[in-house]
Amino acid sequence: MINIRNLNKHFGAVQAVNDLSLSIPAGELFCFLGPNGAGKTTTIKMLTGLLRPDSGTIKIGEFDIQTQPVEAKRIMGYIPDMPFLYEKLTPVEFLKFVAGLYNINRPDLNDHIEASLRQFGLQEARNALIGELSHGMRQRLLYIGTFIHNPRVVLIDEPLIGLDPHSIRMIKDLLRAKVRDGMTILLTTHILALAQDIADRIGIISGGQLIALGKMSELQTQFGSNGTLEDIFLKLTSAP
Amino acid sequence: MTPLTAIWMKDFFVLRNLRRMLQRESVFKVTFILLFATGMMGGFFAMFLSGFRFLSEMGGGGFMITHRLFALFFLGLGLMLLMSNVITSYATIFKSRETLFLLTAPLDTRTLITYKFIESSLLSSWAFFFLMVPYTAAYAWHAHLGILFPVWTFLFAAPFVLLCGGIGALIALTAVRWFPRNRIFWAIMAGLVLGATVYGIVQIRPVMNENASFVLNRLLPGLQLASHPLMPNNWVAEGIMALTSGQWSRGLLLWLVLATNTAVLMLLVQWLGDGQFYNAFQRVAGAADLRRRPAELLSGLDKSLAFLPHDIRGMVMKDIRSFLRDPMQWSQALIFFGLLAIYFSSFRSFHYNEMPDLWRNLIVFLNIFSVSSVICSLAARFVYPQLSLEGHSFWILGLAPTGMRRILLTKFFLAALAMVAVSAGLMGLAAWMLQAGWALTALSVGLAIAVSLSTAALSTGLGAIFIDLKQPNPAAIISGFGGTMNLVFTLGFMLSVILPFGLIWHWHVTSGFNGTPFHQANIAATLWVVLLSSATISIPLWLGIRSLKHREY
Repeated sequence: MINIRNLNKHFGAVQAVNDLSLSIPAGELFCFLGPNGAGKTTTIKMLTGLLRPDSGTIKIGEFDIQTQPVEAKRIMGYIPDMPFLYEKLTPVEFLKFVAGLYNINRPDLNDHIEASLRQFGLQEARNALIGELSHGMRQRLLYIGTFIHNPRVVLIDEPLIGLDPHSIRMIKDLLRAKVRDGMTILLTTHILALAQDIADRIGIISGGQLIALGKMSELQTQFGSNGTLEDIFLKLTSAP
Repeated sequence: MTPLTAIWMKDFFVLRNLRRMLQRESVFKVTFILLFATGMMGGFFAMFLSGFRFLSEMGGGGFMITHRLFALFFLGLGLMLLMSNVITSYATIFKSRETLFLLTAPLDTRTLITYKFIESSLLSSWAFFFLMVPYTAAYAWHAHLGILFPVWTFLFAAPFVLLCGGIGALIALTAVRWFPRNRIFWAIMAGLVLGATVYGIVQIRPVMNENASFVLNRLLPGLQLASHPLMPNNWVAEGIMALTSGQWSRGLLLWLVLATNTAVLMLLVQWLGDGQFYNAFQRVAGAADLRRRPAELLSGLDKSLAFLPHDIRGMVMKDIRSFLRDPMQWSQALIFFGLLAIYFSSFRSFHYNEMPDLWRNLIVFLNIFSVSSVICSLAARFVYPQLSLEGHSFWILGLAPTGMRRILLTKFFLAALAMVAVSAGLMGLAAWMLQAGWALTALSVGLAIAVSLSTAALSTGLGAIFIDLKQPNPAAIISGFGGTMNLVFTLGFMLSVILPFGLIWHWHVTSGFNGTPFHQANIAATLWVVLLSSATISIPLWLGIRSLKHREY
């Protein structure tokens, strides 16, 4: 569902992403790990079309993000680490706006929005302005907005920043449920326990290069460790 | 629902919610802001009306100026709108977080650029209408024009706003997409522009008729350009007048010329945006990483400020570096003061220095007024919100081993120093170019210093009293109750100190107000300025310090 081939991106003298190739099939939750400045966010930004690769190709489903951006974005959802929300809209207005952007004309849109607000515990805040919501509520609203058009691929940059334990559990359960329904999710995180807990496969990037890839058990075998993901990660990314 | 319809619906919801928020605000606050806005428009109306009456009293030349002033007015407003649109287009199209959000949605570039272009044109146009309404109303009142005059004015103003917005958007798109980022290139460009400006000022020699006591071009050299048949502002001015006087076919022709040119320009913006926006956006997105910055900006200045206490030195350097690294801030200040500097530098080219005392006196006080107005608006824009803009990083200052008093006074002294240097320098330049006497030179420089100090104190003090650390948007901070109050107080102070001297010196050159009474009046006015300045410097700062000390963060 996500196909990356020989991806390169540099900023000045810095090679942010170096010959990255990766395939993520439908219905997989893929965790992308790496130290700060490893190239995770740059890769995600290239996947969304916000940044243009210097070379290489990216396909979301059957669509090339560079040559068919509108078609690719139609089947994709994106949750950035520092999300933008319209402060002067209510949650209902925001969700209707997003539905309009994705040209969703389902007759039960209002019911769907109400059900989603209920599911995410935002029903009481439906008439408040987004600017008045707490950080956790805004994050939950963002998840509803991202899933409103039922995307086939979802990219999430740091999914659990600022969330309380209840919201974290809710998001983890939601992501697993979506993947069971066939959605493909690529997420980046620094919380290694989260990756170990929910990922089908894990990729570790360092210096713009993919240095490890596989299931948790495969990584343990590959790097001769029976320890946690944290042990493997620190072993691979420590300075020589 | 198409994506563009969804975006317009979103804007409709935002406006509706803003109206609801306004209804929840205190009646006093809303009334105060509305009264201030109405008062300003009323003041502009009265000023324009008296200007038209003054020109009428001059006879033949005055009538000629009045007629052509309409075109000149739209030329001036159009140029300001254009400059404003270049900056707003850049911010709205490339730097807005909404652009990032919309770029991840299935929206084609043509739709995105069309929306952003219209948004930036609307955002830039409020000042245009704020000035245009009282001017055209005064003109209609003075010339006894028909009731349909405002309708024709708006009919022409709407496409004119979009035309200026279109040119601004094209400049912003082109500059971001193609202009090299090389510092040497920009230094050469800046040098060329400066050289061309200086050469232009030196070379300008308006047509002089030695026998005429009064030459049109000598007073208003922009009239010829403003009345050129190919200039859009002339289509607007002539078109409005044609429709007002019942020349329907000529009026319609001029409107169609304006509308079709605007439509072509909008198509051009769409075409260029569709083809080049993504490329231009990539240059902006990668710019931060491409730019090689020194690890420490102005390290030499930092070392030379070693005599300051360490905490004050740290705050001063932080504010200077933040200001210099924000082009939106220094470019606006540069445009305002640069235009004034160019205007003042051209006085001798236009022989203003050879004018009779009455005119030179009038120009000196108009200069004081214009420099002070710019100081007030820049203080409202940059000084007032500076404490609020510390935002989430205010805890760094709050937890540092320094007091709120030192923080506030440091902000005040830095702002005051910058404003005094620029305003006093400009007033000195203007007085020198006009060959004004020492007394008038000292007076204009002194008034500029008083206005700068008091404005800096009022803006810093009120900025502390009405501090809003949760608001990251400076426009929202400025447009609040405290921001409006700050603007009212600074403008009020400016008028209170300039008007007494203006009247004394006007009577001096017109009615023979000389000798001891003239000196006594000057001493009294000076005392008034000193007393008022002392109060407007000390009281807001004291209240601001008290507010910061007693506030819970």
